[in-house]
Amino acid sequence: MASVTASSVKFSSVSCLIKQNQVSNLKKASLSFTGNGSQSRRLPVLRFRITCAAKPETVKKVVDIVRKQLALPEDRDVCGESKFSVLGADSLDTVEIVMGLEEEFGICVEEESAQSISTVQEAADLIEELLEKK
Amino acid sequence: MASTVKYLRVPPNSASLEEARRRVFDFFKTACRSIPTIMEIYTIDDVVTPSQLRSIVASEIRKNAHISNPKVIDMLLFKGTEELNNIVEHSKQRHHILGQYVLGRPEITPDSATKDQGSEYLKNFFRSNYF
Repeated sequence: MASVTASSVKFSSVSCLIKQNQVSNLKKASLSFTGNGSQSRRLPVLRFRITCAAKPETVKKVVDIVRKQLALPEDRDVCGESKFSVLGADSLDTVEIVMGLEEEFGICVEEESAQSISTVQEAADLIEELLEKK
Repeated sequence: MASTVKYLRVPPNSASLEEARRRVFDFFKTACRSIPTIMEIYTIDDVVTPSQLRSIVASEIRKNAHISNPKVIDMLLFKGTEELNNIVEHSKQRHHILGQYVLGRPEITPDSATKDQGSEYLKNFFRSNYF
């Protein structure tokens, strides 16, 4: 298994020939590490979840926006793992927070990824991912 | 602009409350994404900030948050989209935007002009027609 370090990772899946003894909807993924030479590996793995921790200043900015949006007092602790529903945000508040993050970081969040955000950490990770893609 | 041409043909009714919710969020996102355009058209940069406008839009949506009939929600969304289109294509003017959406909100324009010697009846009278 390839181990993912702090270097940025480009991930693209290419659908190609399907072998007889494999599952019918298998995608071949080609992984390339930038900074380690162009070492492309073909892995017959369907899903490859890469989780890089978001930078602390990104998390801090997200926390600030959340705090201002929900009008939370200073003593209410908002960390990476706090869920939006626990902090008292309904679904419209969540969408509004995502729009605030879009404006702050200049990114564009798609529909599906926006639905899956439930904690502050997930939002920060998504932002990092979108900033890297730009 | 792609964001204004939304309801040329009226789309079929939402099948469920869940789909209506999704449409509400899509409308909210469209509105938020057209906020920079609106601020530029009507030059309200020195009166409100984009995040205040976002919260104004959210509060307008929240006014009808108690509705549970998908058809009513569709109708409200239709009206909201129509209003948004009117605003974005500059059919309105600056004082319309300011008067309808910006002024009178306590968090944006602190209400220092209310006279306190009015009676309760008069206060209700000034607030709305029905009380």
